[in-house]
Amino acid sequence: MWGVVLRSIMGAIPVLLIVSLITFGLMRLIPGDPAAAIAGLTATAEQLEQLRQDLGLNEPFVVQLAKWYGGLIQGDLGRSILMGQDVLEVTLIRLPVTIALSLYALVLTLVLGLTSGIIAALRQNTVVDQLTMVMAMIGISVPNFFLGLLMILLFAVYLGWLPTGGYIPLWDDPIGWLRTSTMPALSLALLQMGLLARITRSTMLEVLRQDYIRTARAKGLPRRLVVVKHALTNALIPITTVVGIIISLSISGAVVTESLFSIPGMGQLLTQAVLNRDYPMVQGGLLLTTAFLVMVNILVDIAYAILDPRVRYERS
Amino acid sequence: MVRTGWAPLGFAAAMAFVGTLGAGALASTSAMAQAYKCPKVGGDFVFGQEANVNSLDQMTSTTISTRNVAMNIFESLMARDEGNNPITDLAESFTESADGLVYSFKIRQGVKFHNGKAMTSADVSASWDRYKRVAVERNILDNVEKWETPDANTFVVTMKRPQPTFIEFISSFSQPIVIIPAEHKDDAPQQLRTVGTGPWQLVEFLPGSHVRLKRNDAYTPNTKYTERTGFGGYKQACFNTVTFRIVTEAGARVAGLRTGELHGVEDIPFISVADLKKDNRITILPLENWWVHVSSANTSQPPTDNPKFRQAVMALLDMEEIMEAATDGNFKLNVGFQYPHQASYTDAGKEFYNQKNATKAKALLAEAGYKNEPVFLLTNKDYPSMYNAALVMSQQMQSIGIKAELKVVDWPTSVQMQGQASPSPGWNFFFTGYGTQPALGALATMNFFMGTNPNYKPKPGQEDPVLKAEWENMNQKTDPKERQAAFVKMQHRILEQALVFPFGSLTKVQGVRSNVVGYKPFRIPRFSNVSFQ
Repeated sequence: MWGVVLRSIMGAIPVLLIVSLITFGLMRLIPGDPAAAIAGLTATAEQLEQLRQDLGLNEPFVVQLAKWYGGLIQGDLGRSILMGQDVLEVTLIRLPVTIALSLYALVLTLVLGLTSGIIAALRQNTVVDQLTMVMAMIGISVPNFFLGLLMILLFAVYLGWLPTGGYIPLWDDPIGWLRTSTMPALSLALLQMGLLARITRSTMLEVLRQDYIRTARAKGLPRRLVVVKHALTNALIPITTVVGIIISLSISGAVVTESLFSIPGMGQLLTQAVLNRDYPMVQGGLLLTTAFLVMVNILVDIAYAILDPRVRYERS
Repeated sequence: MVRTGWAPLGFAAAMAFVGTLGAGALASTSAMAQAYKCPKVGGDFVFGQEANVNSLDQMTSTTISTRNVAMNIFESLMARDEGNNPITDLAESFTESADGLVYSFKIRQGVKFHNGKAMTSADVSASWDRYKRVAVERNILDNVEKWETPDANTFVVTMKRPQPTFIEFISSFSQPIVIIPAEHKDDAPQQLRTVGTGPWQLVEFLPGSHVRLKRNDAYTPNTKYTERTGFGGYKQACFNTVTFRIVTEAGARVAGLRTGELHGVEDIPFISVADLKKDNRITILPLENWWVHVSSANTSQPPTDNPKFRQAVMALLDMEEIMEAATDGNFKLNVGFQYPHQASYTDAGKEFYNQKNATKAKALLAEAGYKNEPVFLLTNKDYPSMYNAALVMSQQMQSIGIKAELKVVDWPTSVQMQGQASPSPGWNFFFTGYGTQPALGALATMNFFMGTNPNYKPKPGQEDPVLKAEWENMNQKTDPKERQAAFVKMQHRILEQALVFPFGSLTKVQGVRSNVVGYKPFRIPRFSNVSFQ
C-alpha cells in the first residue's frame, strides 16, 4: 500500500513542474499584459512603459522564470499584481471555498447519482428506469449556468427559501453555509449526477449479469446482500475512476457557478486573474489547484488498492 | 496680487464655480440649520456591484470598480460637483498668484483620518509625494516645480510654467490625488493601507466577494455646503454599514433586487427594466450618458490611413441602427465627445454625424481608390455592446462593397493590440467607449488625440496640425471661452477627418429598493446622504 502512495507522490513532482512551466510560458505568450489592465485605456505609451518597468515585465523571460522558481523553492508564490496581496495567502482563503463547494456537490452526486443509477439498473426497462435516465440526460445536457439561473428564480425569487447568492464560510455559520451553498452545489452536481447515474446503471447491469451474482442468488442470499456486497462492491472500481474525474470537473465547473452565485472561490479568482493577466496569481493559483487535484488522484489510486486486491499485488 | 477660485477653471467649471461660491455664501450666512440631516440612521445597505474590486489603492487603479468603493472612503483637496465642475473638498479655499505660477491651498480644519489622526498639510504633501511616485496618471504633476508646507494648514504648489487647466486636472476623479496619512506614503503600489478621511471607513475587503464599510462617526462634514454635491459638499453617512457585494451576473443582480437581498444594483439589463418597473418595491434609475460608444480608426494602417476612405465610412454609418443593436435600445444619439447637459457640449461637426448616405459613401470610396483590401474591425465579447456595434458596422460597410472583417479577441488583448507602437498592424477600427473622460470634461477627452496617446495613431511625425494647435490653445489660453472655442474646433476636425466615430451615448440603468431615500445615480455610486425610510 505504501509503495502505491510513494510511487504516486513521486509521479506528481514532474506533473507539477510541467504544469508550472506551461502556465508560466503560456501567460507570457498570450497578448496583453498586467500593465494594460492596471493602466486602462487612457494610459499613454510612456505610462504603460513606466508601469512595465515598475512591475519587472521588461526583464528577460529566463530571468523572470528563475526569479519565480527561486521564490517557489522558498515557499513564496509571489504577490498578485492587481490585488497587491500574497498569492499563497489569497489562494489559501479561496481554495477551501471551492473545495467545500466541490465536496458538497460530490456528496450530492454520490448520494443521488449512485442511488438513481442502482435503482435504474435494478428496474431496467421500467418507467422508473426511463424516468431516471431522462433526468440524467437533462442533467448532462442543460448547461449548469442555465440551471443555476432557473434555480435562483424558483428557490430565491418565487419561493424565497434560499438567498440569490453570496457565501458564508462553513466554519462561521454552518446553517448559513448550507443556505448559500445548496443551489451552487446542486447546479454543479446535476451534470455529474447524470454522468454517475448512467455509468452506475451500465456497470451494475454488467455486473448483475455475471455468473457469481447468479450463483449468489441461487444460493438464496437476500437480494439486498447480493446487490450491495457482491454487485456494488465490484461496480465501484470504474465508478471510483469517474469520481476522480468528477472532482476535477467540479473544480473547473466552479468557474461558472462561482460567478453566477457570487462565491469567492478559486474559479472566480483565476478567471479574473487570467482576464487581467495577473501573472503571479495565475501561476501560483493554478499550481496549488493542480497540487490539490494531484492529491485527489493519489487518493483515487489508494481507493483502487483498497477496493481491488489485485491492484495492491500487481503494484507491489 | 492673487486670484481666487474660479479664474483658472474651464468655461463650464468657471460658470459652475460662480454658482458654487454663491451657494457656499448662502450656506454660511443663513442656512447652517438647514444642513442635511439623515432622515433615519442605521441599517446595512447592500449594493450589488457588477465588477470585481481588485484593490482599494485609489492612486494606482484606474478601474471603475475601485472608484465605486474608494471614492466613499478617500477624499482629495479638490473634488467635482454634481455637474463635474471643480470644487474644494479637503481644501478650505485656494488662491492662484497673478502670474499663474503659485497655488496656495488652505486646508480644512478639524478633518481626521479614520485612524483618529488629525490631517495636516504634511499629510497632503506626503500624499502628493506618493502619487508622483506610483500613480499611472502621475504626469498631471509634470509641470509642478515643487510643493511645500509653510505651516500645518497651508499647502503651496509652485508650477514650472503657468497652466490654466491645473485645477481641472487635480480635481479629476479618473485617478484622484487622495489624501492619506503621511506615514503611509511609502506603501507599495496596490498595497495602500485603506485609511482615508471620508464619511465611510473600511471594515472588511474580500476580493471577489464583498467590501464592507462602516460609518465614520468622527467625520467632519464640509460646512461650506448644506448638501452633497458630486463627490463633495456636505456629506453624512446614514447607514451603519454599506456592503458592496460583487454580483457579476446581471440576472443574479436583478434577482437580488427583487428579493430585497440587494438594496441597490448597478447595470440592470435593459430586457429586465420593463418587468422591474411594474414592481412597486423597486425604483428604476436611469443613469444617462454613461459613456460615448466609439470606434477609433487606425490612421497609420491602409486603407484607414486615407482620409477619403474614413470619410466614406463616416458618410455611410447609420448610428441609430448601430446603437440599437449595441445597447438594446438604451441610448441617445449624441454628436461628439461631451454630453448635452454639460456646459462644454458642442454639436460642432454634426454635418458629418449619422449621415446614412450610401451614395456619398460610394463616391468617396471611389475617390479613395479602395481596391477591396480587407478592413479589420478589432472588437471583443467581454463587452457585448462593443461586439454588437462592430457587427452592425461591419454589415453596413459590407453593404457598399467594403471587405469588412471582424477580429474578435478578449478585451486585454484588444487593448494590447490597439496600443502597440505606431504603425500598428492588424486592425483598422478599434471599438471602445469613452466613459470617465467625457464626464471629466472636454480637456480630458481631447487628451486622447495627442501624439503619444494610443487611441489616436497618426503615422510618425504626421500628427494633425490643426489638432495640435487647438490642443495647445485648450491648455494654454487663460480665457475659458477661448479654451471652449479650441475644443469646438478640435471636435469639428476629428469628425471631419473621421479619426473617431462616435455612435451615441449609452444609458446605464441602476435600481434601488423603494424604501431607499436620497440615492441619486452618478458616475460613481454615492452612499452619503442616503438612508432607509
